[in-house]
Amino acid sequence: MRWFGFGFNAFGQILKVFHPKELRSYVERSGCCLKTSRISASWSRRASLHLDGECVREIATLTLCKLDLNRIGYTSCCFPGYPLNLPLVTGGYIAPKPPFYRPLSPHLTAKSLALGAKHAILLSVSGAVYTWGLGSHGQLGHGGLTSEEEPRVVEALWGMPMSCVATGGWHSVCISDGGDLYVWGWNESGQLGLPSRALCQDTASSPSEKPQDGEKHEVFISIQAFPALLDVTPSCEIRTISCGSRHTAAVTSEKSLLAVGEYGQLGHQTLISLDEPQRVEFFKEQQMCVVDVVCGAWNTFAAVAKEEVACS
Amino acid sequence: MAMLWSKISALLPLNEEQFPLQFSDKVESSVVDILKRSRRQLYSNATSNSCMLNAQIILDISWEKLNTGTWRHVDKEWRRVYSYGCLFKVAALCHEDPSRDKILQAVRTCDMGLIMGAAIMDNILQAVVRILQAEVRKSSKEDETAACAEVKRIKTESPCVLVVREELAVPRIKCPSLQSFNINYLLPLRPVILEGIIDHWPALNEHPWSIEYLRHVAGCRTVPVEVGSRYTDEEWSQTLTTVNEFIDQYVLNKSGVKGLGYLAQHQLFDQIPELKEDIRLPDYCCLGEGEEDNITVNAWFGPGGTVSPLHQDPQQNFLAQVVGRKYIRLYSPKDTDKLYPHQSQLLHNTSQVEVENPDTEKFPEFVKVQYLECVLQPGDVLFIPAQHWHYVRSLELSFSVSFWWS
Repeated sequence: MRWFGFGFNAFGQILKVFHPKELRSYVERSGCCLKTSRISASWSRRASLHLDGECVREIATLTLCKLDLNRIGYTSCCFPGYPLNLPLVTGGYIAPKPPFYRPLSPHLTAKSLALGAKHAILLSVSGAVYTWGLGSHGQLGHGGLTSEEEPRVVEALWGMPMSCVATGGWHSVCISDGGDLYVWGWNESGQLGLPSRALCQDTASSPSEKPQDGEKHEVFISIQAFPALLDVTPSCEIRTISCGSRHTAAVTSEKSLLAVGEYGQLGHQTLISLDEPQRVEFFKEQQMCVVDVVCGAWNTFAAVAKEEVACS
Repeated sequence: MAMLWSKISALLPLNEEQFPLQFSDKVESSVVDILKRSRRQLYSNATSNSCMLNAQIILDISWEKLNTGTWRHVDKEWRRVYSYGCLFKVAALCHEDPSRDKILQAVRTCDMGLIMGAAIMDNILQAVVRILQAEVRKSSKEDETAACAEVKRIKTESPCVLVVREELAVPRIKCPSLQSFNINYLLPLRPVILEGIIDHWPALNEHPWSIEYLRHVAGCRTVPVEVGSRYTDEEWSQTLTTVNEFIDQYVLNKSGVKGLGYLAQHQLFDQIPELKEDIRLPDYCCLGEGEEDNITVNAWFGPGGTVSPLHQDPQQNFLAQVVGRKYIRLYSPKDTDKLYPHQSQLLHNTSQVEVENPDTEKFPEFVKVQYLECVLQPGDVLFIPAQHWHYVRSLELSFSVSFWWS
């Protein structure tokens, strides 16, 4: 798999700022070239997992160090500082404050766990979504701004099995079995793909933004407290998603990469934030099929299938 | 305009070595790296673009921390980082002969640092904004003459007359002694209007507060404004605008956009020292147990019609009226259960009832409760005892100053 990255690069996590650039494969001292199979990124560091499985090299401008990563069950890993991601363990999860081990309800068989700045989202095997933690920006999806101490089911999605969940700093997203994308939480930077007032004000100078004659009042969403189904045009199924601090990226069934939210990490070759999902044209132009996406806090990494097969 | 930069750089340490960048462990090393890069750029010939980029990174990462969790728990260190980001951004903006637009952006950046950040380097942002404001005033002498006409227009649009019933009136007393105020009102926690105690304020004498004066002193400064009819409404929000924009849009209604705006509960006098000089701390505050430094002084400035829903505050309050008149109603904390406070944590100090238009079916007990009311005039100071419920509606363009003390 080849990986491309774009976005925040102040620490050399990727090579260029907003034009997707291919990440170099890591060359071992023996001269053996290892391919990257998994990527995880924090604000200032990127970790790549290479094909021989057990070694993780940290790529940064300052040092190269080797870490042994033998624990399993991480949905994403991070380096000290931002934010602390914690593993699922048998029967429960580890919390940052005592009691450190918290059991999950016996009725709950967890499939995956995602962690935002101050909230968590859990996907059960049956496809139900549970959230808890800070609710100040609507990121829990229960319709209000209050925080929850214990996992609470997102009732709005009850009955619709979800296949994948992800969290950003203050937002949450999930994909249904049928490939629909649901979003909720903070939309200040357009990260939900819904109209954002802040972005409208920034682009107010461009003539295309002038309001039409008549009583047209645009609805802006700053906080979406209930899950909302995101309409993606042209219509397609969403395969996988990842969130950064204030942006969201999704891989579609057509192997395209969509991105929305805060500037350079969108790969659209501009520094303008977007509040409507747009395809990252680079991959289409290069006739590449995007199969996976991983977001760091302010950047995006996309995996491209090895064989450049025609992407239907 | 290279003069501007030389004035600003005179405030900065002589060289990189003397520029402090000390933070607790809360601030991770990668962020400190970027701060050090910015510091290096400040003393080298780095391009303004690359300086801006690093400053923006510092602002963005600290801004994210400021928005994580509750404001009360945000570590002061991150607020300091944010202020450093503002300082570096201002330096980048003002380095190469900045346009008026860039200078205004720099003023706004200083204000963001003063409002959201924490003081750094002997409150350097305060000193910088003073220099920038002087620069802005130089080039805006022409605009000020137009302001007089608009003020006259407001005065002729006379507001409605409101009559306060005598038996419900808040008692008034002129310049009571400390002792008599203490015995008759503070200790028994009884509301009263103190007359004559702010007559000496420059705000009512040498520098009478008016729209022109406020524009002159603070026009280009950024302040938080509440938008919407009252803070219990769904449509209510907060925004940041300059004082000029606030006056244009919400006081003079130049753009014709409907909706109320209220510069409310903002520590304006910490942000703009010239305005602090126009007011004085009421002597009666010394009757409390708290320190003078712990007294919170807030500005309340807005057009007629702004409403603060019925609520209670934990501290004693002197509400000083400087410009315009306000209708105020007071309810005793004894009657709290008949005032139907919200159940939620966020709003438990606020009543659900619309005081001047109560829903008698939903809130039947409310109309039976005794209250006191008044029309607060310029020169009046209302003593609102701690926990005393109060409802405020401005009758016209109004500017009040509140002192929360214990």
